Amino acid sequence: MKFLNILNRLYDEEILCKLDFLKGIRLFEGIRKRQLIHVLESLQERTYLKGETIFTQGDIGRALFIVFGGKIALARVDQATQKSEIIAEVHPGEFFGEMALLEEMPRTATAYAMEDTKVFMLFKIKMESLLYARPAIGVTLAAQLAKIMSARLRAMIEKPQVE
Amino acid sequence: MATDTQTKKNYTQFLLPAFIGVALVYFVVLAKAAIFPFILSAALAYILSPVIKYFEVRGIKRTFAVAGLYIGAGALVFMVVYLLFHFLSFEIESLQQSWPEYAKRMQEFVVRNNDKLVKNYPFMASLRLETKLDHLLEAAPQFLLGLLPALSLLFIVPFITFFMLIGGTSIIDYLINHLPSRYAELILHIASRIDASLGNYLRGILTESFILFLIAFTGLLIMNLDYAAVIAILIGISSLVPYLGAIVGAVVSSIVAYLQFGALMPIIKILAFFTGLRFFDDWFLQPYIMKKAVKLNPAIILLALMAGLEIGGFWGVLFSIPVTCIIKEILQIAVELQETEFRWKPKPEPTRISIPYT
Repeated sequence: MKFLNILNRLYDEEILCKLDFLKGIRLFEGIRKRQLIHVLESLQERTYLKGETIFTQGDIGRALFIVFGGKIALARVDQATQKSEIIAEVHPGEFFGEMALLEEMPRTATAYAMEDTKVFMLFKIKMESLLYARPAIGVTLAAQLAKIMSARLRAMIEKPQVE
Repeated sequence: MATDTQTKKNYTQFLLPAFIGVALVYFVVLAKAAIFPFILSAALAYILSPVIKYFEVRGIKRTFAVAGLYIGAGALVFMVVYLLFHFLSFEIESLQQSWPEYAKRMQEFVVRNNDKLVKNYPFMASLRLETKLDHLLEAAPQFLLGLLPALSLLFIVPFITFFMLIGGTSIIDYLINHLPSRYAELILHIASRIDASLGNYLRGILTESFILFLIAFTGLLIMNLDYAAVIAILIGISSLVPYLGAIVGAVVSSIVAYLQFGALMPIIKILAFFTGLRFFDDWFLQPYIMKKAVKLNPAIILLALMAGLEIGGFWGVLFSIPVTCIIKEILQIAVELQETEFRWKPKPEPTRISIPYT
């Protein structure tokens, strides 16, 4: 019993929670749990307070954001009316900003925290390191990214046109 | 009026950070001797941090990972130091006893050849080689004694590094958390870029130095050269500076070979060995180990080494290349930011394909 207590004190339960969380992210589907450790090594954690801006429309994107806890709003400025309207809300387990992993292009929307939010950030340079250092993980990640982009494009094309 | 107040507010928000920055730089310049162990500790903590991260992502709490590393590494370092002292103690004692004899033989060699040179080339007399050698032979033991205070760093630096490792990136996180949140992504991107190039370079150069130390030690032992351990350690340390390792090894080994054997053949063998070592380093070690490290032009490396020597002596040379890696990365990022964020170049166009998605 004492030995188990010592082991419990040594072991960080939070890491297990994070690995379980990453297992449920669509982007990491197909990556084995023990390989997710390498993905976790490449992720950067950050907490944004309620109301803080993550990025603004037009900023050059450099990272993908995975929401671990909290809620993020994505808003776009309408060119005609110059008014900002929320186009999506991102909940825990979802991600946004994936275009930054492919091209360092201006963001197409503004993201801000609707409540205190903890995110994981995957930078393009870290993903490239994964691609070279761990090709098995990198290839799976790239394939999943392509599938997600394809699904989003299909949804956009099949979306009924607004009169 | 309101615009003036707004403009004043925009400028005044930078006053306090600018003042703190200037005060910090002033403090560092005044107390550089006290700051130096902290710089070394930060460098050591940076080199060791991937080891800690390795255990952290596998579920071991940071404090225990650091404690475990120190206990494990401490035992390993103790064993290595004990074995090295076992080899070194005989060599250092023997060097101490033989030094007067070696000094005398070197003086005779220089005097004999200097006389021949001056006879054929009278202008060589102005170089005063004999006087310079006398100064060098007197200064060498004093120089070695002068290194003793630096040995205190062997205790202070690991002590400070322990606490830096426990703290992790908490100071950097604190600073980033207190900057506008919109810029956190950019700052972390810059940090990732610098980490990628600098980290690869440092780990590569340390691995390379260790391999060269092992090869040199083995080779010199096989050739039965005295003070093989001392020379191998010298080669390992000087390999931290690009191009220097094999050259230092060749020069020092040649001198020791001449003093030990008094013939030309052992010197030729040693020079051939170090030439082979240099080729091995250039053609196999560096391309394999340093492939992901930042690529620096040899002219830039030379400039960095000379500037490092000018600014900080031995330590300046040692830190010159890592600092150059950081500066190169920052300059590249600054140019990219000027082009993208501040629109020095036209807005980047996304990839456009005319064929619709089907």
